[in-house]
Amino acid sequence: MSETPADSRSPGSKLMQWLFNPFRFTAGSKALGSGLAAILLAGLFGWMGNTHFDGIIDVHAGVEAPLWCFMAEGLIDWISMAIPLVFFGLIISNSSFRLIDVLGTQALARWPYLIISLIMLPAANRRVNAYLLSSFSQAEGSVTVSYGDFAIFAMAMIVTVCMAVWTVALMYKGYSLSCNVKGPRAIITFIISFVGSEVLSKAAVMYILS
Amino acid sequence: MKTLLCEGCQTQIDGVFDLPALAQLSVEDQRFLLQFVKASGSLKEMAKLLGLSYPTVRNRLDDIIERIKLAENSEQNDGKEKQ
Repeated sequence: MSETPADSRSPGSKLMQWLFNPFRFTAGSKALGSGLAAILLAGLFGWMGNTHFDGIIDVHAGVEAPLWCFMAEGLIDWISMAIPLVFFGLIISNSSFRLIDVLGTQALARWPYLIISLIMLPAANRRVNAYLLSSFSQAEGSVTVSYGDFAIFAMAMIVTVCMAVWTVALMYKGYSLSCNVKGPRAIITFIISFVGSEVLSKAAVMYILS
Repeated sequence: MKTLLCEGCQTQIDGVFDLPALAQLSVEDQRFLLQFVKASGSLKEMAKLLGLSYPTVRNRLDDIIERIKLAENSEQNDGKEKQ
């Protein structure tokens, strides 16, 4: 691995690094602060658009809930992923890593969910969602949607999938860098953490929503 | 390395000499270690100097330590073979 001073890279290359591996430049308390701010803002916009992040990468429109529930969902998603990664890091890493780096990188990795919360704000998404729900429950006709609504909803879905993939990639990069783990062992432990955290966060979110 | 030369008396010694582990590192790694010593061994200071995050710099140092260990091991193995 060869590192050059960050300023010596071309602006385009640096931008790509910031987008796909921001942890090369920022980690620890800075990443934790900005990551938590992004999580809480996503919770605020989620509340405004009634968009729940009820699982590590889940995005669902639906049940109305108080603001604190939306904020708590983001925090639960973040911490339920960070904890198993710290655990596996302690087991497989040969380096002495800092807890704050894992927490910070995992928090900042969730920032694309801020974009999702904004994309899901337009009322068209809620109308299409209500229409789809009424269609499934055989209660058609109660909700009217336009082609424009469908177009906005389709766009939001595409962006959401891209952001979710980006978030997972950032989570892995954050884990790999902050715990200094690479290769198959890093990938396998990340997948185990991911699946376990999905179950854990789902259960925790269902508990607070109930 | 095959030859050692004294610039003062021009004495030249031929043989097979091993480079010290640090000299076997790449120029970039050596530059990194020089900066690290100048920064009093502070990874935080190094991170500031290079504009990189703390774990990026720590991982770089860990990689260099691994390379030094490898170089030292191969030196020891060579020494045993010669004996």
